Amino acid sequence: MLPTLARSSAQARKPLIHFLGKRQWAAHAEAPHPHPYAPAEIKQSFGEFSSKSRSSTTQAVSSSASKSKSGAQTFEEFWDAPQRLRPHDLQEAEIEAILSGGASNA
Amino acid sequence: MLQLQRVSQRNASRAVARAARWRTARGYASSSSEPYDAIIIGGGPGGYVAAIKAAQQGLKTACIEKRGALGGTCLNVGCIPSKAMLNNSHMYHQAQHDMKRRGIDIDGVSLNLPVMLKAKDDAVTNLTKGVEHLFRQNKVDYFKGTASFASQNKLTVALNEGGETEIEGKNIIIATGSEVAPFPGGSIEIDEEQIVSSTGVLSLKEVPKKMVVIGGGIIGLEMSSVWSRLGSEVTVVEFLGAIGGAGIDEEISKQFQKSLTKQGLKFKLNTKVLAADKRDGKVYVKTEAAKGGKEEELEADVVLVAVGRRPVTTGLNLDKIGVEVDSKGRIVIDDQFTTSVPHIKCIGDVTFGPMLAHKAEEEGIAAVEYIKSGHGHVNYAAIPSVVYTHPEVAWVGKTEQDLKKEGVQYKVGKFPFAANSRAKTNLDTEGQVKFLAEKETDRILGVHIIGPNAGEMIAEAVLAVEYGASSEDVARTTHAHPTLSEAFKEAAMAAYDKPIHF
Repeated sequence: MLPTLARSSAQARKPLIHFLGKRQWAAHAEAPHPHPYAPAEIKQSFGEFSSKSRSSTTQAVSSSASKSKSGAQTFEEFWDAPQRLRPHDLQEAEIEAILSGGASNA
Repeated sequence: MLQLQRVSQRNASRAVARAARWRTARGYASSSSEPYDAIIIGGGPGGYVAAIKAAQQGLKTACIEKRGALGGTCLNVGCIPSKAMLNNSHMYHQAQHDMKRRGIDIDGVSLNLPVMLKAKDDAVTNLTKGVEHLFRQNKVDYFKGTASFASQNKLTVALNEGGETEIEGKNIIIATGSEVAPFPGGSIEIDEEQIVSSTGVLSLKEVPKKMVVIGGGIIGLEMSSVWSRLGSEVTVVEFLGAIGGAGIDEEISKQFQKSLTKQGLKFKLNTKVLAADKRDGKVYVKTEAAKGGKEEELEADVVLVAVGRRPVTTGLNLDKIGVEVDSKGRIVIDDQFTTSVPHIKCIGDVTFGPMLAHKAEEEGIAAVEYIKSGHGHVNYAAIPSVVYTHPEVAWVGKTEQDLKKEGVQYKVGKFPFAANSRAKTNLDTEGQVKFLAEKETDRILGVHIIGPNAGEMIAEAVLAVEYGASSEDVARTTHAHPTLSEAFKEAAMAAYDKPIHF
C-alpha cells in the first residue's frame, strides 16, 4: 500500500505556478536597460543615452557636490548622491546578519 | 534563564535596528521650506497613483495638475465617462429590444439624453473628488496649475487662480499624458460641435441622425456603439483591413465586426478619409480606397475623429533642461523610467508603450519604487486591453499572428459561450474564449475573449500570464458553477486536452 502511495505521489502533476516565497529585492539597485517599447534606433543607441544620463548626473549634483583631496566626490545631502549610494531600508535578513555577526549567512 | 535573556537582548537589538530603519525612511521627509522628495507633473491615472504611492513611501510629495480636476483624460473625458455612456446606452437598448423576450413588457421607453449625460457627469465628479480626498488623506500637496521647468530641479507653476509659484524637487516624475491627435495633414478641423473628438462625442446635445466615425480602434468602436444604441445610423471608416486596433487577434476582430454589423453598424475598411466639408448644416466626408481609386462621399450630422492620441510635452521646457524627446514627441526613458536627466522620470502616455490608464498606473508605482529602493516591476507582456462594447472584447499577450511571425509553435484552445450554462441562462451567448499556449511547454502565451463580461474575465488571464501558468494549471483550477468563467476554464482544457461541454 505504502509503495503504491509513494509512486502515485511521485507522479502527481506539478503546476507551473508555484509559490516562490516573499519577494526580496537585491541589495543593489538594478542596472538600467532600454525600455521594452523603445523604438529600435533608441535601443541601439542606448549606450549613448546612458552616458548622457550619467554626465547629466554630474551636472545635476555639481552644485552641492565637491571633490576631496583624494579626488573622491563628496555630497552634502544624501539625495544628491547617486541612487546606489543612498540609504535603503534594511531587509530582515540584513538585520539578522548584523545582529548575528554574519553567522546567519553561514 | 540564560536563553530567555538572550532572546530579550536579541529582541531589544531588533527594536533598535528597526528604529534605525524607520529613521532612515523618515530621512526623506523634510519641512515645507525644503525641496520635495518627489514632484509629479500631471494628475492623471499615472500621476495621481505615483503621487499617492510616493506619499505612502514616506516621500514629501507634490502633484501639479492644470485641468483643475484630478484623474486626467481617463476620469474626466475618457475611460470613465465613456463607460457611463456605454452602460446606460446598453440598458436603453436592452429595454427597447431585449426585455420582451425575457418576459418583461415595458411600454413607452424613451431617451432622456440630458439626464443620461448628467449621470455621466456625476460619475466623473464623484471620482475626481474622490482622488482629491485620497490626496488629502495621504498628505500629497496638490497644485492646480501649469508646470514648466525653470531648472533641472525647479518647477515654475502658473497657478490656475492667478500668479505663479516655484517649487523644488529632488525627484520629478513627468506624467503629462496625451491629447487628441489632429487629423493627419490638418485637412479636418475639430470644432467639437459637428466634427468632434473623443471629448466632444461624450457631450453631444442631441442624437445625430447620421454619424461617421473616422477610426475603427477602441475609442471609435465604443462611441459608435453608444450613439448607434441611442438611434444614430453609424458608419465606421477605417484605413486598415480590420477593426479593434493594435493587438487584437485577427479571428476575434472578424467575429467582432460581424457582431457589430448585426447590431446595425456599417463598416468601410481599407478606406482613406481625404477631407470633411461642412455644408448646409451637414458634414460631407470624402473617402477613397486605401490603395487609391474609388472615391465616395458620406453625409453625416456629426463626424467623430478618432485617429489616435499624441503625447503632451508643450510648455514643459524640456529642451532647456536636456530631457530627450523622440521623433514622435515621446520622452525617451530607460526601463526604470529614467529620462536623460537622472532624477527626472517619466511614465504613461507621454512616453513609450500603449496609451492605457492601467499601464500608466503600474508605471507610476514602479517609478516611485525605483526612486525609493532602486527596484520596480512592470511586465509589459501582461498588460490587458479591453473594448467595452457588447459583446465586450478583451485580450492579453500574443495573437496568433504574432506567434506565426515569431515562428513559435503553439496550440489553440477555444470554447464558445453558446456552450456555457450561465451564458445560456442569461440569453447572452455570443462569443468565445481563445487560449494560445506554447506547444512544447503548455505555457499560456495569449488569451483572447469576445463575449459577455470579457473585460472582467481577462484579469484571470493576466494573472496566469504574469505567473507563467500553463493552460493545464488553469484547466485544473476549480471555477464556480454556473459562471461565465467556466468558459475560460474549458478553453484552457481545450488547449491542453479536450473540453467537457463542447
